[in-house]
Amino acid sequence: MIQLYNFPGGIHPPENKELSNPGQLITLPLPEELIIPLGQHIGAPSEAVVKKGDQVSKGQLIAKAIGSRSADLHAPTSGVIADISDQQVAHASGLKETCITLQVDGKDTWHADITPADPEQLSDEEVRQRMAAGGIIGMGGAGFPSNAKLATDKPIHTLLLNGVECEPYISADDTIMQVDTDGIVKGTRLLMRLLGQVKCIIAIEDNKPKAIATMQAATADDTAIEVVVIPTKYPSGGEKQLIQNLTGKQVPKGGIPADLGILCVNVATVNAIHDAVYLGRPSIDRITTVTGKGVNKPGNYRVLVGTKVDFILDQCEIDASANKVVLGGPMMGFQLPSIQVPLVKTSNCLLVPGIDEFPAADTAMACIRCGQCEVVCPAQLLPQELYWLAKSDAFDKIEQYNLMDCIECGACAYVCPSQIPLVQHYRYAKGVIRHKAQEAKQAEHAKLRFEAREQRLIDEKNAKEERRKARAAAAAAAQAAKRANQADGDDPIAAAKARVAAKQQAAKAQATDSNPEPAAEPSHKELKTAAAIARTKLKKAQKAFADAAATDHPDTDKLQATVNELTQRSAAAAEALVKFESQLGVDPEAIKAAQVEWAKANAKVRKLTKLAPEDDATDAVHKEYQQTLAAAEQDLQQAESHLQSLKNPTEESS
Amino acid sequence: MSILIYAILSLTVMALIFGAILGYAAKRFKVEGNPIVDQINELLPQTQCGQCGHPGCKPYAEAIANQTDPINRCPPGGEATIKALADLLDVEVLPLDAEAGVDSIRKIAYIREDECIGCTKCIQACPVDAILGAAKLMHTVIVDECTGCDLCVEPCPVDCIDMLPIEVTKQSWHWHKPDNLIATDRQPNLTVTGEDAA
Repeated sequence: MIQLYNFPGGIHPPENKELSNPGQLITLPLPEELIIPLGQHIGAPSEAVVKKGDQVSKGQLIAKAIGSRSADLHAPTSGVIADISDQQVAHASGLKETCITLQVDGKDTWHADITPADPEQLSDEEVRQRMAAGGIIGMGGAGFPSNAKLATDKPIHTLLLNGVECEPYISADDTIMQVDTDGIVKGTRLLMRLLGQVKCIIAIEDNKPKAIATMQAATADDTAIEVVVIPTKYPSGGEKQLIQNLTGKQVPKGGIPADLGILCVNVATVNAIHDAVYLGRPSIDRITTVTGKGVNKPGNYRVLVGTKVDFILDQCEIDASANKVVLGGPMMGFQLPSIQVPLVKTSNCLLVPGIDEFPAADTAMACIRCGQCEVVCPAQLLPQELYWLAKSDAFDKIEQYNLMDCIECGACAYVCPSQIPLVQHYRYAKGVIRHKAQEAKQAEHAKLRFEAREQRLIDEKNAKEERRKARAAAAAAAQAAKRANQADGDDPIAAAKARVAAKQQAAKAQATDSNPEPAAEPSHKELKTAAAIARTKLKKAQKAFADAAATDHPDTDKLQATVNELTQRSAAAAEALVKFESQLGVDPEAIKAAQVEWAKANAKVRKLTKLAPEDDATDAVHKEYQQTLAAAEQDLQQAESHLQSLKNPTEESS
Repeated sequence: MSILIYAILSLTVMALIFGAILGYAAKRFKVEGNPIVDQINELLPQTQCGQCGHPGCKPYAEAIANQTDPINRCPPGGEATIKALADLLDVEVLPLDAEAGVDSIRKIAYIREDECIGCTKCIQACPVDAILGAAKLMHTVIVDECTGCDLCVEPCPVDCIDMLPIEVTKQSWHWHKPDNLIATDRQPNLTVTGEDAA
């Protein structure tokens, strides 16, 4: 028997647990339709692996976990996937979430892969794999994926099974401890094995004598498992309060029970682990308490995940006077935005209060600073201060008053004589603080990205400048190299100049040395050329003179002199030519006529050569052609000789 | 007389010693940059939208620190930022400067992808590199990185960028402020944040 340490604060609200007949389990008939939300757990929503129209059997994987803090989802029964769409879910916000709608076929056939196994034959790793495949999340309410919880790297010495169920009205854990005792004990031993032979405490409140007796009987022969009965006090089932009660130690601020070497698991979760490992059955159903004076058949029902609230209420015969449905208990539950929403793995209670059971809260009165809230607060906070600060939106200050350690148990609001909705204020303040923290995180992230971008742009600009400088340096180097070559005498321009100079030199030498005759006695052709050049020069000079005269150029007189000189030269050249020609006795007109004659004859011969008849033509044609060609060639020869005689009379004579 | 001289001498020596220590400390522990700029920058929403007339939040923080700009020119930050700045700088809370823009709910840019022509103009405009794409290929906004600054909307030649309000999800939702305040506290236009549960 271990010593109990109690925990501060706490209240004793009317329990009303007998209303739902703890220990009596009723299985609901199959509904026609199941709606399975993809985000039932804390962490990233799962990803659907089926599509509309797929036939699925019971226990088949329909959505797989994304990341380590997520869980698989399975078909709770056989049927057809009717839709994957956004639907309203059981959340205080009334917001929509992606859900898989399963049209139930009523056959309820298990998937072929669901096979039992003996964990004794399995390695720890295989056990963990079977557990992970079961898609198990904390069924006490928080929905933390169990595999992620077990994967802690902190040393664990105690496994704490939470069967306290301190909230009024709810008896689901009480029932499962009586009904699935074997499963819980086997699941517990499995967890103890995975954690490395730790000791186990099963904590149960003393208002569940039957569950205590059953669990004690089932674990009597196991010294490592101890059933601890704790006094009834709300909220003794809170993880932190339970640990404080059992060990006298507080979970550090912002820490988890594993920091104290304790792993806390709900009894229903342990049963689900047993089902997954021993039977291969994934987490597809749970025990939910349907209670309150608003239903005629309250009790504990085994419901499939995704069963809609209105179906359950129909089965439990909801009273016509009921005007609201609460998901969860009376202390921490919230009013459902609609009864068309599905139950999920974490839904432990549907509370339908009668019309007079929970009267609508009266208008809140002024805080009279009675301090009762401070007395009952299990987290030892100052609810009154927190209230003032939340009301005035003093979020920085409220954090200093440790608002984030509030477990939202509602004990303060329960005792408040002024009926101030204290927890709502705290929830609001917590929401704003989380939102602000998120925004601050995003702002910091945006700042880093902005600065990184600025830096990148500057770097790019610098790199461009660097490249430009490098290019300039390379060009300068090339220039320098060129100049250096020039100095060595390899300058191409100089070389070219030298070549030209050498050529001119050679030409001059040739002209003076070897060929003085033509210069002394020019030929007919040379004279002709000289005359033409003189004419051209004269024309150019005349034009330049005309232009200069028109613009009153100062060089006009000079140009006049040039023109005069050129005129004389041109006349001299023409005279020389005429003289030469007359000496030769050549008549330019006759030569021209002879040239024309010759050209005509030449053209005729060419034409005829081109027109040569085909090889297959008749002999007559060939003959005629030969004759014509011969005649034409004769004409051409005559014309040529005539022309030669006219051009070179001297040569002919000499 | 000698007492007077000793007193003056000892005080002079002490003054020299302390002066040397102070001078050393001023050099050794010199604060780089203006710390108030960083503090102001921390309070700004880092949207980098430029609605204040500065290219980014840091330049605006510098302008506020130099007292060249008032604290009310940040529309994305809204009233909360103005209040925080007023607290930090110990100045009067001013109403938001309408010239800079109006305080509106946070939005995120979305590119209508089938209309995008791949001109890369929005990529160049984005101050936080939240747009992904390449020339003549479709662009898209990395939603988690978008600050909703609006700067990509104007350069788009085909007007395919929409600024849509951020959707409230189950994860981002939080409880609203209880409106059933005590009877004596009732105010006519009480602002309620968050979604209404019912």
